[in-house]
Amino acid sequence: MKKLPLYIILILISAVMLYPLLWLVGASFKTNSEIFSSVWFMPDSFSFEAYRNGWQTVTPFTMGHYFLNTFKIIVPKMIFAVLSSVTVAYGFARFDFPLKKFFFALLIGSMLMPQIVTILPAYSMWQNFAGFNFLDTYIPLTVPALFACEGMFVFILVQFFKGVPKEFDEAAKIDGCGTVKTLIFVLAPCIRPAIISISVFTFLWTMNDFLTPLIFIQSVEKYPLSLALRLSVDSTGQGYEQNKIIAMSVIGLIPSITVFALAQKKFVNGITAGGLSG
Amino acid sequence: MNLKNKRLYNNPVGVSRFTGLLLITPFIIGFVIFTLYPFISSFINGLAAADGSFSLENYTRLFQDSSVRKAAGVTIRYAAVLVPLKLIVSLLTALLLNLEIKGIGIFRTAFYIPSILGANLSVVIMWQYLFTADGLVNQFLELIGLSPVSWYGEAGTALSIIILLRLWEFGSTMVIFLAALRDIPKDYYDAASIDGCGRIRSFFKITLPLLKNVIFVNLILQTISALQEFNAPYMITGGNPMKETYTIGMLIYEEMFTYWNYGYANAVSWVMFTAIALIVLFMYAVTRKLREDSQ
Amino acid sequence: MKIKYLKTAACCCAFMLSACGSDNGANTRTRTEPDGSLDKCTIRFSWWGGDDRHEATLEAIELWNELHPDITVKAEYGGWDGWTEKINAQISGNTAPDLMQINYDWLINLSPDGEGFYDLNKLHDTLDLSGYDAETLSFGEVNGHLNAVTVSMSGRGLFYNSEVYEEVGASYPRTWEELLALGNTFGSKGLYPLDLDIQSGGTAWYLSVVYIQQTTGRQFITMDGRLGFTADDIKMALDFYKSLEENHVIRNVQTRTDEDGNAALYQSSEFINGNVAGVLEWGSAIGKYESVLDSGVLESGPFLSDGSGNSKGWLIKPSLLYAISSDTEYPDETAAFMDFLLNNAECAEILGTSRGIPASQYAFDHLNQSGMLTGLSYESTVMLDELDTVTISPYMELPRMKEFYNTAIEKVSYSAADTSEAAQEMYDSITAYLETFK
Repeated sequence: MKKLPLYIILILISAVMLYPLLWLVGASFKTNSEIFSSVWFMPDSFSFEAYRNGWQTVTPFTMGHYFLNTFKIIVPKMIFAVLSSVTVAYGFARFDFPLKKFFFALLIGSMLMPQIVTILPAYSMWQNFAGFNFLDTYIPLTVPALFACEGMFVFILVQFFKGVPKEFDEAAKIDGCGTVKTLIFVLAPCIRPAIISISVFTFLWTMNDFLTPLIFIQSVEKYPLSLALRLSVDSTGQGYEQNKIIAMSVIGLIPSITVFALAQKKFVNGITAGGLSG
Repeated sequence: MNLKNKRLYNNPVGVSRFTGLLLITPFIIGFVIFTLYPFISSFINGLAAADGSFSLENYTRLFQDSSVRKAAGVTIRYAAVLVPLKLIVSLLTALLLNLEIKGIGIFRTAFYIPSILGANLSVVIMWQYLFTADGLVNQFLELIGLSPVSWYGEAGTALSIIILLRLWEFGSTMVIFLAALRDIPKDYYDAASIDGCGRIRSFFKITLPLLKNVIFVNLILQTISALQEFNAPYMITGGNPMKETYTIGMLIYEEMFTYWNYGYANAVSWVMFTAIALIVLFMYAVTRKLREDSQ
Repeated sequence: MKIKYLKTAACCCAFMLSACGSDNGANTRTRTEPDGSLDKCTIRFSWWGGDDRHEATLEAIELWNELHPDITVKAEYGGWDGWTEKINAQISGNTAPDLMQINYDWLINLSPDGEGFYDLNKLHDTLDLSGYDAETLSFGEVNGHLNAVTVSMSGRGLFYNSEVYEEVGASYPRTWEELLALGNTFGSKGLYPLDLDIQSGGTAWYLSVVYIQQTTGRQFITMDGRLGFTADDIKMALDFYKSLEENHVIRNVQTRTDEDGNAALYQSSEFINGNVAGVLEWGSAIGKYESVLDSGVLESGPFLSDGSGNSKGWLIKPSLLYAISSDTEYPDETAAFMDFLLNNAECAEILGTSRGIPASQYAFDHLNQSGMLTGLSYESTVMLDELDTVTISPYMELPRMKEFYNTAIEKVSYSAADTSEAAQEMYDSITAYLETFK
C-alpha cells in the first residue's frame, strides 16, 4: 500500500498526457459543431460512419494502400539508417584517423541545418541526379538514410560503443576476427538495444513526416499516410467533415503508439546499456 | 606510408589510420551531398536579389530588418525559458518512471504519447480549450480566487502557451534521461543509504554528477530544436499577437513559401545556422570544465 | 590508401558540380508550340481542395478518359496545407503539371512578365473561350499573354445567424449606420452582430476597404498594381475599423484572440453558440459556417450601402483559375482537357459548384437549367451581380500585402499606434513593396 500514492500521481499525470488522445477518439464520433464546442471527450452518439468513410477515402485507394506506401518507405529507411549509423559510429568510437575531430564537428554541424532550407536544393538535385530524375519515387526519401544523414543517431551510437569495453575487440581479434567481423559478431549484439532505439525513432519520425513526401511525391497512388491524411483538409473551400479527418488521424496514430508500446522496454533499456552516463 | 607523419594514431596494432576513415566514408559522402551542397547552395541563393542579380544585399538587409530582429528576440527568449524547464521536467519524470513497479511500461508509453501527437489537430484544439478566455486554465484560476489571464491575446503571455506545449511533449528528452538513469548501478545508492544519505541528498551526490554528460547531450539537442522552432507557433498562435510568438523558423518558412522570397529566406537561414553553431560551440566551451571534472 | 581517399573526395566534388549544373539547365528549356492535332499522350492535372472537389474532379476525369482514350489525364491532388510549398518546388524545378489550378495572386509571383505560364491565346483552336466576356478573361492576362482562365468568380458577403438576430429582435443591417447601431442592441446582451479577423481571412481590412471605396469612389489597389488610396483614405479606413470595435459591433483583436486562439471562426465555440452572430466570408467558402450551425440557421444578408442608393465598392475576384505549364510538351491536348473542364455540359454537371459558381457561361447555363444553382453561395453571388462591384487587384491579394493590413489593424486595435501613424506606416510599406514589381 506504500505504492498507492505513487500510482495516484502516475495516473494523474497520465490523464493529462492522454486526454487529447482520448478526446481525439471521442471527436471522431462527433459532429462538426460538437467537436468545436465541447472539451468533454464523450460524443452524444456513436457511429462508425466516419471510420468507414475515412478508410475508403475519396481517392481510388483505401487507407490500407497508404499504410503500405508508408511501410515501403519506413522499412528500407530503417535498415539503411541502422547500417550506416552503426558503421560510421563504429569508425568514430573505435578508431583514430586523420581529421577525426574535424569530422566529428561536421557531424554535430549537420544537425544544425534546418530542413526547410535543404529541401529545395535537394529537390533540384534529385530531379537531375547523375542524369536521372528521381522525383516521384521513394529514392529521395530513403536513400539519404544510407549515408548516416541523421547526425543524432551517430552521436548516440558513439556513446554506446564507448560503453563496450575495448577488451571485447581484442578478444575478437585473437579469435581471428577482422574489423568488420568484430563489428558484426561482437559489438553489434552488445549495442542491439541502441539499434532498436534508432529504428523506433526512424519509425516514429517517418510516420509523422509531411514536408519531405509532400515535396518529392506527386502521384496520389504513391502518397504515404501523412499526405493521405491531409487530402481532405481544405480551409479555402466549402468545408469538410472534421470527424472523418479525425477518424483517419486516429487510425494513423495506431502504428506509432503500438510500436512505441512494444519497443518501450527494449527502447529504454537500449539507451541504457551505453555509456551515456558517467 | 608517410614517414614524416608527426602525429601518432592511437589504433590497435595492425590497424591502418585509414580504417576509421573508410568506415566513416558514408558519412563524408552524405555530408557533402546532403548537407554541404544544400548549405553552399543556400548561401549562393541567399546572394540572389529580387531582380536576379547577385549581391550581399540580402545579408546586409537582414541585420537591419526589424522583423528579423524581433523574431530573433522571441526565439532566444523562447529557447532560454523552454530548454532549462524541459530538462528539469523530463529529468524529474524520468526519475519517477525509473521506479521498478508493476505496469510502469504502460505509464512510460502514456507519457510519451504527447510527443507522438506533435502538433496534431487535436492538440491545437485542446490548447484552445485550455487557454482561451473561458478555458479550463482560467476557470481553475478563478476557482482558486485568482483573476483570469489573457493567454492568447496578451503580448507577454502568448509565448508561454507555446512553451507549455513543448514542455508537455518532453518524451524523447525523458527517454534519454531514463536510459541514463537505468545505467547507474544500484549499489551506488545502497552504499549511500548505508552512509545515511537521504533520497534527495543521494540525488545530488550520485545521480546528478553521473548524469552530467547526458544532461549536456539533451541540452544541445533541445537548444538546437528550440532555436529552430516553427511548427508549434505556426499551429497554435500563428505568430500572434503583435508577432510576439513569431520565431525565426517561422519567419524563414513564411519568407520561403508564403512570400516566395527564396533568396531572403536562404540568407536568414544561413545566418541562423551560423548563430546556432556559435551558441552550441559556446555551450560546449562553457560546460567543458564542468563535464570533465567528474571523470 | 591516401590516394584512394583523395579519389573518393574528387568523386564527391565532381558529383557536386554535376548537381550544381542541374540548376543552370533550367535556362535552356524550350517551349513546345501547338501543332493543332491531338496526339496520344498522358497529361498531368493538379489541384487542391476538399473531399467534394476531389470526388467530383476524379469523376470528371473518368468521363474524359472514356471520351478520349488516347489522352490520359493523371490526377495530382491534395489538401490546401502545403500546396503552395509543393507548387513552389515544382515551378522552381520546372516539373510543374501540364494543367494547374492556381490562385489569383500567384500570377504576379509566378509569371511577372507573362512568360511563367503558357500563353493560352495560342490555343484558340482547342480552347473555346467564347463563354467568357472580355473583362473576365482579362483577369488572367499578364503583359498581353493570356496566362490563366477564371474558373469561378467570388466575393465576400455578409452572413448572419438568423436565430440570434431573431432573439435579439434585430434585422440584418442594410447600411453602415445600421451596422454600427447594431452594436448597442447586441452589446447590451453581451453578444456581437459580426466578426472580423486579422488571421488568414483578413476580413477586418477587407470591410474597411469596401467602406472607403464606396465613400470615395477610389480603388484601393489598381489592377496594374498602384496604390489608389491616399494616406488619408487609409486613415479613414482604420478609423472606421476602430469605430466598429468601439461600438461593440465586432470583438477587438485581443478579445477575439483570447476567445478563439488561432482558430477560424467556424471552429470557435463563440460562433457555434451564437455569441458572435455574423461573418464576412467568400460565398465559395461559406459551407463550413453553415455546417456547424443547425441547418438553415445561417442566412445571407444585404450588401451594405450608404443609404442613399450608393452600394458601390464591394469586391469580387476570380477565386480559382486554370493555367497551363509553360514547360508542357502537350499544349493542344492540355488545352482540350481544359476546354472540357470549363465548357462541357456533362462535365459541368459532374463538377457542380465544387469550384464555386462557374464563370464560363456554358457551364453556368447548364447548371442553371438543371437546377443545381441553389444555396447561400449562389444567393450571395446573385446579389453581388446586381451591384456595381470592383474587381480585386491581384496585388491586393499578395500575402505580403495582407501582412501590412493586418499589422496596421492590430496596432490600431491594441492601441499601439494611433490611426494616422498606422496609416502612414501602411502607406509607406505598400508603396515601397509595390515599387519592387515595377
